[in-house]
Amino acid sequence: MPATEYQGSFLGRISIRRNQVVSMDGNHEQELEDLEIFQKNISDRFSDLLSDDSSSSSSSSEPFLSIAWVRKLLDVYLCCEAEFKAVLIMGRDPSLISKPPLDRVLPELLDRSVKALDICNAVMHGVDSVRQCQKLAEIAVAALEQRPLGEGQARRAKKALAGLMTALGIDDKDSGSHKSTERAWSFGRRGGCGGGSAAKDRGLGQFRAPSWGVPKNWSAAKQIQSMSSNLVAPRGADSTGLAMPVYIMSIVTVFVMWALMAAIPCQERSGLASHFQVPRQLGWAQAMMSLHEKIGEEWKKKEKKGSGSFVGLLEEMQRMEKVGHSLMDFADGFQYPGEAERLEEAAAQAAELAETCRRMEEGLVPLQQQIREVFHRIVRSRTEVLDVLDQAGKPSAPSV
Amino acid sequence: MDSPEDGVKPMPLEAAEKLILRWDSTASEDAREKMIFDSDRGEIDRYLLAVDEIRRSMSRASLSDDDPRASSTIQIAMARLEDEFRNILITHTNPLEEGSLSESTHSHSESTHHSSESTHSQAESTSAAARTSSSDLDLYGGDDDLGREEAESSARRSCSGGSISYRSTSSIREIDLVPPEAISDLRSVADRMISSGYMRECVQVYGSVRKSAVDANFRRLGVEKLSIGDVQRLEWDALEAKIRRWIRAARVCIRVLFASERRLCEQIFSGMGTATEDACFMETIKGPAIQLFNFAEAISISRRSPEKLFKILDLHDALMDLMPDIDSVFQMKTAESIRVQAAEILSRLGEAARGILSEFENAVLREPSRVPVPGGTIHPLTRYVMNYISLISDYKQTMNDLIVSKPSAGSRYSGDPSIPDMEFTEFEGKTPLELHLIWIIVILQFNLDGKSKHYRDTSLAHLFMMNNVHYIVQKVKGSPELREMIGDDYLKKLTGKFRQAATSYQRATWVRVLYCLRDEGLHVSGGFSSGVSKNALRERFKAFNAMFEEVHRTQATWLIPDNQLREELRISISEKLIPAYRSFLGRFRSHIESGKHPENYIKYTVEDLETAVLDFFEGYPVSPHLRRRSQ
Repeated sequence: MPATEYQGSFLGRISIRRNQVVSMDGNHEQELEDLEIFQKNISDRFSDLLSDDSSSSSSSSEPFLSIAWVRKLLDVYLCCEAEFKAVLIMGRDPSLISKPPLDRVLPELLDRSVKALDICNAVMHGVDSVRQCQKLAEIAVAALEQRPLGEGQARRAKKALAGLMTALGIDDKDSGSHKSTERAWSFGRRGGCGGGSAAKDRGLGQFRAPSWGVPKNWSAAKQIQSMSSNLVAPRGADSTGLAMPVYIMSIVTVFVMWALMAAIPCQERSGLASHFQVPRQLGWAQAMMSLHEKIGEEWKKKEKKGSGSFVGLLEEMQRMEKVGHSLMDFADGFQYPGEAERLEEAAAQAAELAETCRRMEEGLVPLQQQIREVFHRIVRSRTEVLDVLDQAGKPSAPSV
Repeated sequence: MDSPEDGVKPMPLEAAEKLILRWDSTASEDAREKMIFDSDRGEIDRYLLAVDEIRRSMSRASLSDDDPRASSTIQIAMARLEDEFRNILITHTNPLEEGSLSESTHSHSESTHHSSESTHSQAESTSAAARTSSSDLDLYGGDDDLGREEAESSARRSCSGGSISYRSTSSIREIDLVPPEAISDLRSVADRMISSGYMRECVQVYGSVRKSAVDANFRRLGVEKLSIGDVQRLEWDALEAKIRRWIRAARVCIRVLFASERRLCEQIFSGMGTATEDACFMETIKGPAIQLFNFAEAISISRRSPEKLFKILDLHDALMDLMPDIDSVFQMKTAESIRVQAAEILSRLGEAARGILSEFENAVLREPSRVPVPGGTIHPLTRYVMNYISLISDYKQTMNDLIVSKPSAGSRYSGDPSIPDMEFTEFEGKTPLELHLIWIIVILQFNLDGKSKHYRDTSLAHLFMMNNVHYIVQKVKGSPELREMIGDDYLKKLTGKFRQAATSYQRATWVRVLYCLRDEGLHVSGGFSSGVSKNALRERFKAFNAMFEEVHRTQATWLIPDNQLREELRISISEKLIPAYRSFLGRFRSHIESGKHPENYIKYTVEDLETAVLDFFEGYPVSPHLRRRSQ
């Protein structure tokens, strides 16, 4: 994992310092230097994420908001996290950590950690629902790849694509024509035009991602809002102290979680774009701010179209939606043997859909593993910070 | 399954096509309203035969003249079969019977197993009873734990039929989720869908129906969706109840629900490739399994504090027991993440237990209360700590596995006056857990020593230490597990310590009093026969009376809660006081009685004193008029 290659030099230096006996004064200078390096690294890494995009139209290996890009984002997070812990904890006297303002900002950080953990779980589940889309798309691909293409396979593809559109959260009002054909091709009694049985919705319902993992009232948008609501930049003397890296790491965490939830389907995200702002005029945050703006714009575009509430901004999902739409039209009007030109176009689109499925097949499992790694890392850091707080602790009695 | 070939004649291709088109739900109202598998057997067999016929005709056709009409027909048939498959599954998706979801039926089979082991060891059953009560146990509780444990264990036995320990040994119990006739229908459909290249559709349909069935059973089991944030916010009491419920639910989920789902997949898809089987299983249970484990995970990362230890251990034990079953139910490669998550949670729970123990040690060392307990009796901290560690000894098996390093104490900190010393070399052969328990007792005494300094009266300080260390000894002796772990050597040390405290008390209080009864200073020099100074003697008696009265008045309010200890200390006091007084009286009584108002000086008979000593350490004030009481 590239996570390690970033760490080497920095951590090495920190661990040397660990063995030195440092006085309070000598320490401060060192601290400022650490802080500077910490900020610079963050700035560099996020710039890197930004530049990936400008060089790419669609052919790059890591298009903006693609699975590969999200994985890179998580790598960046893991690196920042490791350095943050080095700055905050390693070789530090626990008593420093229990003093103001850390005694206040650290519990807030821990609180944010817990929220980030829930986001990790929600996003893990979101990736599962992306995989659902992948499976439906694979059915369509399998049907459309038949040569020669018969009407039967076209119908099969259409059914799968209709399911895919539902799973992608395309509203009925957006695609009224699809709705009617969908009905016509629903099978058995469950199509809705027949006996109106209670099991009516099952045909569609199966493609809806269930809301496993998080409670019904859990909201991604609210989660982000509550993570960022008490985020205030340290001022005065605090701005050069340890409160600063805590603040920076909090911004990084909120941003990464926010981006994850924008990319990957999550429960209840309306207004997500406006719930978090990267603070301006911070040198290290410039790249992050640009990323935030770009994602925010994309988000608003989607939200205006009314489809943002379900589907994520994940590049592969977007592509699936676009190609899926077009293939749906194709399958809808298909009559054997079909026009050569139209067939060729559809074949190209089916190949694109197949390629997207392949990327998902390759990328989603490692992505989930990485989200899990982020989860573990947050848990570990939280435990470590709690330990330090306890060591430094106000004596905590067994409530006598 | 009834093979369509039996008793049904082969079908010409045209008839086959016709049959399939007749059941095309997009073509006729009738086809939409009816299900083939709800019709008579003959129609079912004919339809399946027709599908086979179409497929045969397609495989006969060479690649060049692939017939788009046949491909269209097979698509219609597959859409139909998909629908039929769903319908059969839905028709046979019934909520599990109440009995299958509870553990009680379960423990029937277990109960024989349990009773055969129940004679195993008395200690084990007591400890098991104690551990069930751990959450409700008042850690400050008194000494009559035994009676309560008995009451609880019998209550427990009557309500749950014998499965007491969270380290149970029961395992997977698969039940039929779908009746065998339906299975054979499902197989005949699945087989045709898969061999026609419609495996993905089959998996989708299967997963969607079964997942909602699992979902419904989850609700009935009371498996909640709680976010990690929710779990952090909830009061521990509420969480304890949820942990108990989770343990029950998890056992049923893994051993009954998931295991049965796994079997259903095998029943329907065996022989059609493990890929389908695994895919269907994962579609069905991945979400529910993750939801199930999320709660345990949230608990495993919750903030550590001493009161959480025992429920965390219960959870740990329950999960550890489930591990072999989890590994077997989720053995396929695609379920690796679930197995890994379970293992991670288990190890995190272990880590939490370790963290809590060290947190507890820290808390015992630093417990800050400074207000002396009145009467020098047992400090609440002592009760808390001793009840706590005897509970730990109930979890000896698990804790021994988890606690693998010695306490971070003794030599490493030597020189630090805020931490006691402990020489581990004395305790060779002790497990790390045993060393931790001893260490906890050491730091408890260290803290109590500090607290004893807050008594103004040093006698009371000694009495306080005597009481508390004696309590520690009694608690250790009262639990065979704990006694074995602490060991007789250390117990002997502790016994020595409270004896020493008793001696110190006696010295602090009684040396002064008995000093009044000495001979020196009473004899007037130069005199022969009656060289006793009356004045000095009178002063001595007065001093003795005043002192004894004072000691009597104060120390009657002091408290030794242990009857035997109280008795022993009084006897020990009497053994010194009474002979000394008797002999003093014998030697000097005549000198006082020959003077005026002897009753002013000899206020007490020997018997008066003997009676007065009985007032000591009862914990309430006595009448100041000693004499009147004794008459």
